[in-house]
Amino acid sequence: MKTIIQAKNLKKIYQMGEVDVYALRGVDFNIQEGELIVILGPSGSGKSTLLNIIGGMDKASEGELFYLDTPLHSANSKQLTLYRRHDVGFVFQFYNLIPNLTAYENVNLSAQISENPFPVKDVLEKVGLSDRAEHFPAQLSGGQQQRVALARALAKNPRILLCDEPTGALDTQAGTQVLRLFKDFCTTYNKTIIIITHNAAISQIADRVFYLKDGILSSIQENETPLSPEKVTW
Amino acid sequence: MLWKKVIRDLNNNKGSYAACITIIAIGLMVFISLSMVIDNLNLSQDSYYRNQNFADGFAQIKAIPREEIDDLKNIKGINKIQGRLVKDVRVLSSAGKENVYLRLISIDPEEKNPVNGVRLEKGAQLNKNKLNIWLDNKFYSANNLELNNKIQVIIDGKERSLRTAGVGRSPEFIYALRTSSELYPSPETFGIAYIPSDVMEKLFSIKTVNDIVFTLDPGTSFSEIKNRIKPELKPYGLKKLYPRKDQTSHMLLSQELKGLKSMAQTMPVLFLAVAGMILYIMLKRMVEQQRGQIGILKAFGYTNREILFHYMSYALFTGTAGGITGGLLGIAMSYPFTEMYQTYFNMPGLNSNFSPEYLFTSILLSLSFSVFAGYMGCRKILAMQPAEAMSPPAPPSAGKTVIERIPVFWNMLTVQGIMAIRNIFRNKGRSIFILLGIMFTFSILGTTWSFKNIMDKVVFDQYEKIETYDVKVSLTNPRDRNDITRELKNFPGVDRVETMTEIPAALKNKWLKKEVTILGLPENSRLYNIMDKNYNKIKPPGEGILLSERLANLLNAKPGTKLNMNSVMQKRPDIEKKVVVVGVIPQYMGINAYMEDEELQNLIDQGEIATSAMLKINQKNITAFKKEYNRADNVSGISERSASLEESKKLMGSFAGMIGALALIGIITGFAIIYNSSVITLSERSHELASMMVLGMTPSEVLSVITFEQWFTGIFGMIAGIPLTKILLVGMAQTMSNDVYTLPSDMTGLSILIAFGATTVSIWIAQQAASRKIKKLSLVEALNSRE
Repeated sequence: MKTIIQAKNLKKIYQMGEVDVYALRGVDFNIQEGELIVILGPSGSGKSTLLNIIGGMDKASEGELFYLDTPLHSANSKQLTLYRRHDVGFVFQFYNLIPNLTAYENVNLSAQISENPFPVKDVLEKVGLSDRAEHFPAQLSGGQQQRVALARALAKNPRILLCDEPTGALDTQAGTQVLRLFKDFCTTYNKTIIIITHNAAISQIADRVFYLKDGILSSIQENETPLSPEKVTW
Repeated sequence: MLWKKVIRDLNNNKGSYAACITIIAIGLMVFISLSMVIDNLNLSQDSYYRNQNFADGFAQIKAIPREEIDDLKNIKGINKIQGRLVKDVRVLSSAGKENVYLRLISIDPEEKNPVNGVRLEKGAQLNKNKLNIWLDNKFYSANNLELNNKIQVIIDGKERSLRTAGVGRSPEFIYALRTSSELYPSPETFGIAYIPSDVMEKLFSIKTVNDIVFTLDPGTSFSEIKNRIKPELKPYGLKKLYPRKDQTSHMLLSQELKGLKSMAQTMPVLFLAVAGMILYIMLKRMVEQQRGQIGILKAFGYTNREILFHYMSYALFTGTAGGITGGLLGIAMSYPFTEMYQTYFNMPGLNSNFSPEYLFTSILLSLSFSVFAGYMGCRKILAMQPAEAMSPPAPPSAGKTVIERIPVFWNMLTVQGIMAIRNIFRNKGRSIFILLGIMFTFSILGTTWSFKNIMDKVVFDQYEKIETYDVKVSLTNPRDRNDITRELKNFPGVDRVETMTEIPAALKNKWLKKEVTILGLPENSRLYNIMDKNYNKIKPPGEGILLSERLANLLNAKPGTKLNMNSVMQKRPDIEKKVVVVGVIPQYMGINAYMEDEELQNLIDQGEIATSAMLKINQKNITAFKKEYNRADNVSGISERSASLEESKKLMGSFAGMIGALALIGIITGFAIIYNSSVITLSERSHELASMMVLGMTPSEVLSVITFEQWFTGIFGMIAGIPLTKILLVGMAQTMSNDVYTLPSDMTGLSILIAFGATTVSIWIAQQAASRKIKKLSLVEALNSRE
């Protein structure tokens, strides 16, 4: 398997006035293509910071981070934009859909800037929302909105999908549906998925689980046999 | 504690508040400076008129014995009446300047509180038996004269020397024009000289007067007196009898005051309305964004009034800052403005002073607009319950817009375009504001530029298209035109001579009457062209009369209307002649009527006369020509077309600064409106825009959502600005036109193009400022918060 993300002694320091706040204190890991990774940790452990850095939304203060052979730690904002444009998909806890675009248009917004997108209709069908394509976000339930957000991320056909508490605002049934979609995407298309969450139950579907505490990667646990999302007990 | 929040919020949005304050300040600056100038002019005019006993009525007569004037004093309603001898004489200038004239006006040095009394600025009383004069102060300083300087003038062909005993001014010549065809005073070449009556009579060997001025008893109107005095003056060749309101200087000053007043009343309202709208939208948006904070404050126990006051304090701050800045700038601007008026209007005591009242007015006006706008924006707070405020707002209404029913258009749009169009329709209030703002910007720019074109047209049409002679010789008295032509034609370098007859006449259509000069032109004139709107040459009519547009309007006449005409130059002035209007033509300088020369001669029946001659002459010979004829006693003036054109160009140059300033105001306003709408959009939709950036869109792609929205609205705003520009121009032409000049209300293609260009530039600059904000947008922060 090919290493898709490689982090070496990754640090993130926020300067709050005269005080330095360490969000990441030196993190090392490799992620292989096609892996489903769950990053677990309490609030303030540095999960979101790490995800933002991997996604090219933020830059590390020290250390190195590679996407394949591309050094993201030294990339400029234009290179990071291109990286996000072609290689990364995001799913957020609060969906972040564009309120005045329909489900179809939200997905198309992402597809139209991609080099090799999936057909929008197919993606919507895959997430089970063909019949809701012409609905605006305000006309959809939370679960449906999250599935549109997922479709929007997938439509670009990214190599990596980054998810920040993707089931945090969903009920069990909707959460299971979303996890199923992640799993399928990962196995069918050999895509890499990184999920950060508080919810330890979700880690059961991962290939590997990263435990983050106080900005340090305290341990990495490998799941020999990941569970299917339907078997996860919430 | 909340004050700290105010300061920080203001600091975070300093650009938006600064733009808002700028617009308020511009509006108030215009209002305060114009109001102060109006006050200064009014104050100065009132006291000047009162102190110098400015006349209520004026009459010009061929000649009336001085004793007769004493009898006129008995007419009921006349308070004071005086006869004067008024004559224009040419000055022999030591600086070698040609065409310098003085208007000699006889005064009685012993008369107490005379009508149109001269206010002596410096020097001594006049000696009633000596050749001494009081010179008007503008002529005096423009020609660098000193007391006791001798001025050489030509009187009846003879050179005379007049000693300057004093310097003064009179309310009769606040705006001193030598002829009605001039646009502005030229103190270097025309001045007034007051001379003792006895001396003047001797100089001209005349025992009569040709000019009467009178004041009225309180409560008496000019029209009452007119009918009483007219029959008394008619036997002496009454040329003109008119009230103060038609006196050129007074009329032009009043016209200027009227124009200033209408500008002072409309401009600031427009600017304050724009600023008020911006403030309203900004505060409304802030209240919506800080909904959670309001909820928390309410939950803590803050009263509605405290919270309302907190949010109103942003409006109070903006209003106070705008009011103080605008007030101070306005007061500061009133100094150069007043000074500018000093150069045109010759009045004592025309000065500006620091005015705390106006500063206070400025703050009060600004505050009332801001507080009203602020209250409208914040009043939602009052209605909210704490729990309601703390929970997220109801999701925005979803649905398709009307425009989506036009599939051809809709399918052409990118997703950014779709977002933009839906935003326009969902934020109707704001879209209308942007539309109005751009309309406003466009119209300011379009009007400014059109006005420049209009002024060019007024001047250049006159001296480049209509009057095409090189030199015009005006005669003191009508002469035989064949003699004149013969004489002038023989002068070296003269290619062509055309004579012209200028006849003062009263034209009447039923009860409407206007005193004008009728120009009699040769049928095939090549030196004076009458033109229609499209610059097609029209021959002076062999039968009937052509009227200028303004004259036709004043007389309510159109082709076919029969007018009654009579002139003091007719053989029988008491008989009214009938003339038929055959056409109406544009005329921007002066108001005249035109006839073919022969036809006019037949009407007045004075033989073949001419009052002036137009010449085509070799440029090299002009100086010699002037030298020869300047001293001729039957020549009242020689004017060179190129010099008039040059003078006018100079005047147009002085307008450039004003036009530039107005254009800048337009651009700043456009910038402020677009910048604020961009900033509001950015803060409102940071989630949306950040999401798009996370998807990998470049800042320019993200910006295109906002810019598409603005261009889409902007184009409609600019198109709607075209008719608004036309309305403004028509309004301006109507308020500013008078008997000296008639302003057309033409809107040229170039001015529209420039308005489009400049509006586009100001929108673009504002968008660049917004684009910097997008680049700085923190994706992490925007996306981590809940919508």
